[in-house]
Amino acid sequence: MKKHIIIIALSAMALTACDKDLQIEPQQSISEDLALSDDGKIKKVLNGAYDALSAGSFLGGDLLLYSELLAADGEIRWEGTYNQPREVWNKNILVTNSFVRDSWTRGYDIINIANNILSAIDVVNDADKNRVKGEALFLRGTALFELVRLFALPYSDGSAATNLGVPIVLIPTRAITEESYVPRNTVAAVYAQVINDLTEAESLLPAKNGFYAQKSAAAAILSRVYLQQEDYPGARDAANRVIGYNEFVLASSYAAAFNSNNSREGIFQIVVSSQDGANDMHLYWSITKYGGRTGDVTILPKHLNLYTPGDARLAFFYQGEGNTEGSGSFRSGKWKMQYMNLSIVRLAEMYLTRAEANFRLGTSVGDDPLDDVNLIRTTHGGLPELGSLTLADILLERKLELAHEGHAIHDAKRLKLTVDGHAYNAPKLVLPIPQREVDASKGALVQNPGYGG
Amino acid sequence: MRKLRKLFVMGVLLLIANTTLAQSKLVKGKVSDAIDGSPIAGATIIAKGTTVATVTEPDGTFEFSVPSSVSTLVISFIGFTTLELPVTADLDNIRLEASQSALSEVVVVGFGTKIKKDLTGNIARVKGEEIAYTPVANFNQALQGRAAGVFVESNSGRVGEGVKVRVRGSGSISASNSPLYVIDGIPIAESANSGSSLPDINFNDVESFEILKDASAAAIYGSRAANGVVLITTKQGKAGATRINVNAQYGFNKPTNNREFLNAQQYVELFREAAINADNIDGINPLDPDEYEDSWLEYVENRFTRYSGWSDWRNRETNTNWEKLAYNDKSRTKIVDVNAQGGNDKTRFYISGSVSDQDGILINNFFQRVSGRVNVDHEVSKKVNIGVNFGLTRTKTNRITLDNGFQNPLQMIALAPITPTHDQNGNLYNTPVTTYYNGLLEIDNVKRSSVNFRNLGNVYLNYKIIDHLVFKTELGLDIQNQTDNYYGGPLSLTGASINGFGSADWYKSVNYNTNNYFNYNKTFGSSHDLDLTAGMSFQKYESERAWVEGQDFPVNELNRLASAGEITGGSSTGTQRSFLSYFARAGYKFADKYLLNLSGRIDGSSAFGLDSRYGFFPAVSAGWILSNENFLADSKALSFLKLRASWGLTGNADGFGDFAHLGLWAGAKYNGTSGLTPTQLPNPLLKWEKSDQYDIGVDFGFFGNRITGELDYYNRLTRDLIYNVPIPGTSGFTTQTLNIGSMSNKGVELVINANIITGKAFSWTTGVNISYNRNKIEKLDGDQKKIPGNDGRYLNSLIVGESIGVFYGPKYAGVDPANGDALWYQEDGKTTTNDYNEAGDFVVGNPNPDYIAGFNNTVKFKGFDLAFLFQGVFGNQIQNGAGGFMSTGADWFDNQTIDQLRRWQKPGDITDVPQARFYYSNGTGASSRYVYDGTYIRLKTLTLGYSLPRSITDRLKMSSIRAYVAGVNLLTFTKYPGWDPEVNSDYRAGNRNQGGDFYSAPQIKSVTFGLTLGF
Repeated sequence: MKKHIIIIALSAMALTACDKDLQIEPQQSISEDLALSDDGKIKKVLNGAYDALSAGSFLGGDLLLYSELLAADGEIRWEGTYNQPREVWNKNILVTNSFVRDSWTRGYDIINIANNILSAIDVVNDADKNRVKGEALFLRGTALFELVRLFALPYSDGSAATNLGVPIVLIPTRAITEESYVPRNTVAAVYAQVINDLTEAESLLPAKNGFYAQKSAAAAILSRVYLQQEDYPGARDAANRVIGYNEFVLASSYAAAFNSNNSREGIFQIVVSSQDGANDMHLYWSITKYGGRTGDVTILPKHLNLYTPGDARLAFFYQGEGNTEGSGSFRSGKWKMQYMNLSIVRLAEMYLTRAEANFRLGTSVGDDPLDDVNLIRTTHGGLPELGSLTLADILLERKLELAHEGHAIHDAKRLKLTVDGHAYNAPKLVLPIPQREVDASKGALVQNPGYGG
Repeated sequence: MRKLRKLFVMGVLLLIANTTLAQSKLVKGKVSDAIDGSPIAGATIIAKGTTVATVTEPDGTFEFSVPSSVSTLVISFIGFTTLELPVTADLDNIRLEASQSALSEVVVVGFGTKIKKDLTGNIARVKGEEIAYTPVANFNQALQGRAAGVFVESNSGRVGEGVKVRVRGSGSISASNSPLYVIDGIPIAESANSGSSLPDINFNDVESFEILKDASAAAIYGSRAANGVVLITTKQGKAGATRINVNAQYGFNKPTNNREFLNAQQYVELFREAAINADNIDGINPLDPDEYEDSWLEYVENRFTRYSGWSDWRNRETNTNWEKLAYNDKSRTKIVDVNAQGGNDKTRFYISGSVSDQDGILINNFFQRVSGRVNVDHEVSKKVNIGVNFGLTRTKTNRITLDNGFQNPLQMIALAPITPTHDQNGNLYNTPVTTYYNGLLEIDNVKRSSVNFRNLGNVYLNYKIIDHLVFKTELGLDIQNQTDNYYGGPLSLTGASINGFGSADWYKSVNYNTNNYFNYNKTFGSSHDLDLTAGMSFQKYESERAWVEGQDFPVNELNRLASAGEITGGSSTGTQRSFLSYFARAGYKFADKYLLNLSGRIDGSSAFGLDSRYGFFPAVSAGWILSNENFLADSKALSFLKLRASWGLTGNADGFGDFAHLGLWAGAKYNGTSGLTPTQLPNPLLKWEKSDQYDIGVDFGFFGNRITGELDYYNRLTRDLIYNVPIPGTSGFTTQTLNIGSMSNKGVELVINANIITGKAFSWTTGVNISYNRNKIEKLDGDQKKIPGNDGRYLNSLIVGESIGVFYGPKYAGVDPANGDALWYQEDGKTTTNDYNEAGDFVVGNPNPDYIAGFNNTVKFKGFDLAFLFQGVFGNQIQNGAGGFMSTGADWFDNQTIDQLRRWQKPGDITDVPQARFYYSNGTGASSRYVYDGTYIRLKTLTLGYSLPRSITDRLKMSSIRAYVAGVNLLTFTKYPGWDPEVNSDYRAGNRNQGGDFYSAPQIKSVTFGLTLGF
């Protein structure tokens, strides 16, 4: 009987397991409290925010692609198999377009990370506090600007104070509450927030910061914001400041400005390597031979005919299909090679913005517009200098110099051009609010006109 | 705690050493058929109250030692009524009566066994022998159509891949909907790094499958049981002369169906027409030479020139049938199985070895399995039994890219029929001559393999503490080691431009489990049977993964990463999950008439936060065997009647993230340095999904149980559904894991089995099962009525009042006869529009079937045996997600389905295919246009065999020789216009995402010749 007691006692013990066997910690993730707990970690979060910004669905290419496809106007054609970019090219975008959806959610992912950094800025070392805060504001302002100019009617249509922009979110999300269902702010309110963020960023950022945002980057984006608002003094002064910071130099030739990982002309670049960073412009605009798809975007004669013969920028286009080069459709040389940095703003743009704004205002802040334009023409185009200048000359120079870099639809909207038969402020030239977002917002988000909303 | 467990096992072992060996005595006799007196070979004789057993020799005789304490023998043989005789009876003349039913079968239940007639819950049993030697890779495919309420669907006709199994419908939106698989008492891991881990199991080793369907049967598995439990019991040896079985098979495989696409003539005609139509919309007449330049027609014809390579499309020089090229026309199946079993009164064994080599029907797809098993049971003493069940498997799968990859061979059907496969030098064409990647390049330029080593084993010890009280302890290990190697040469899709791409991916999972429990089983007086079980179990899953990838390889022959010029990526990850459970069950039977069962289980899971970590899962069931009551005892026709009712609560804690309740930040990478980003919002309140299930059933038998059956009604309500609820993207997140809403499954199941003819020379048994299930989402988050899922390609959505994953989206209204525009219905359901964005949303289909059924027959005539199974699925719809590519009226250069020739061409045409308009997306958005009826009936298996008479086998000193031919999927009856109605495209298959077809391979139709030898 004693034996039985022993065995029952032993088995009773076997039946008792400890609760701690159920306590398992994740191996690839850490908790929120820990992530924002000290200086070192917040700087890692800041790098994480750049990672989000560099996603293919955002500045890693798709936003630039949308801009070019929306303003195609017979100058480029989408020939790829993906129907999402094709819908953008066709100006027949379904509200379920998954590319558009991912760009929207990515934008707010960046904003949320930036808000997290700003909420914990007090634990950053004093020496770095301004820089980290400046970068977070730069990231938030830039993301918000990209969203408002793609997902809302243009600022230039005169009703910015009433037109719906995108939601402004300034606090990090820790839980989903009633406040999480945010409505859209007006276009004007969003622009005001963008200018606030970028202006403060410019004041806080250092002059040099490697591939990360520095004063020049903030000022460069600011010049775009003002230009979009047709605020020429603002655009001129911001562009002039960038040139004045003297951190960047024009590439000695047009080709040298692209397909590079150490361009001295790219004021803000998405860093791309085989390990990280994305370059969807390469993916869709290059050909299989260079690691792209089969050549999804074709440059059409209407665009090529805009160049003066002998323009180095014309010669920069190449012919290629799939695995072969030298024949077939024309491709942009800017996005030819794989794993190359993607310049979001180049110094050339600053000269052209300053020239245009000076010309319109009749001023010569920084330099005479003719000098600025000629600088670009000669350095990058290899063309003779112009003796005199018209606004049309400046705008053409800008179009050719900055072709296929994501400026097309934004310039068309501020210049009130008609593209593919659509007026500059036509609803079809605005991306739809993703259906997923409308559904998830419990009625807070109003769909754009022209999308069944 | 682990230390304690070790101590315990040592203690038990010490006790064993102290016990003395028992005395034994010799028993012998002979068993024969009561009808004609012929000897019965292979009948089992068990010494009652022990595990000592033997089987009869070919002449019906047996001889074995039994413990001297044994007073009764149990004699059983399949198809005969089990007999109990005192050891003192006349054993030389034991006569077995042919049994008329399965009611006396022993059924495995969780942590024990029961006689079928005493069950109060619903358990479907499929005997291993019914499906043995079916030439499929995954045992679930062999179970298809054999059990009521068990819906089985292969994703596609690829070999060695996942199979969807739903027991009584879907109970969850985000968590697992698959049943829990338990092999010899050990819950196994179903998932693998790539593909499914279930094909690792050689089901020829399986004695029986028991599918626990209702809550009372399954609740002993508590939180793991909401989707049913499949108990798999492997074969155990029987004492007696060693018996060896050899089976060899050789088979031929083909697709069940071909789908027709345009030939070169039709392709050129349709695309030119589409281009002209597009030009006309732009106000251009491309047939006017002045307007031809820059027209769509010029564009299309230039592409024709490009796509036709060396040949001339204008005179249709090339007419390639790309679909045909996607299939392996030399697809074969080769299987060899050997097993041996035997033993004596102390030790019994079953060992087996098997080699299976199955080609898929698609090029580059095959599955190989080498497996072995050893099951040994040893009686240490009268009180102690120990044993081991140990299976080792190596599978190698040539797993082709998922359905949505260009490398999927069936995507070749998108290539133009005017494109030649090779250039004039005999090299395969690729882009830009082929429209997309030429999948034939995969054959010589890509190497891929997925090799999995699976070790499934458990050791156990049973200790009889006192009479009627047994303590059982078992420790199980389920280890997977999977390696996926991939290499794509410079000519392949993945290796182009980077001079070859290679990757290696190692995955290891260890799942260990221990069960420790007491069984108490005693009859009090003459009519009170008590059966008690209580114990605990602990289980932990651990998995690790490491992968590396690189590019730039010197030559194709050097395709390991060691030769890569650049390593471009690599990572390692790991995760764990554990369960701690306590369970108890009490069964009571009074006078063989009244049955009562109570069970309860407390489960703790690491997947939940501290406040909701434990759940309690009770069940109660009762049965009343009316046929044992006096008022029915005299009924001539009715031989058995039992009413059953049960209720139970089961849970679900599988299939969503291991840490879904935590707020998480994970690593990120930018500019060559690491970063951190938020990945998940916290939800500390996350808790188990719980299913309430009621079941009312009746079991019946007529005419001496020649006809038996079951009729069940069930109602299962699952609450606190775990779901990744879409939240506004403005939060920085897109979903949050919450408990929302509820879902119900109500259904009826009918099973009828009949022994129509039971003669010795001629017999015919038949079985029918029909099940109806209605799945319904009862509630979603708060007031939310729907979560639409139209992603531009598929429409699977979640809508209150509808079944999970219904197709919800634009309803196609056909073609405007005036202009050929595609039309959809607006929100009012009447007005039509040609603007897709203006279309209303409607429920346009349901991927969940209303009915599933099986009809099974076995006929034996002298040496011949014939078995066939028809299986059917009724009332579901399928959406062709590739419709927007392959049935678009020549919208882009993808080859088109033949039905596109029905397009609208001139005003007044009445058709359902819109005007062909190149690049104008006329009607190509996801809508009911691409939703089809998925009902089908299929001749699932057909086997015809012949066994040589004993007079010949005896002379050859063999116990049996059988030759057979087996067919799988020989006939399919369906209206589905796609390849095969049994489809669920692999790249997206999930709980909500069902019924999608996307260049998915049709099922395999096979004919296999086999030979089985018994020694």
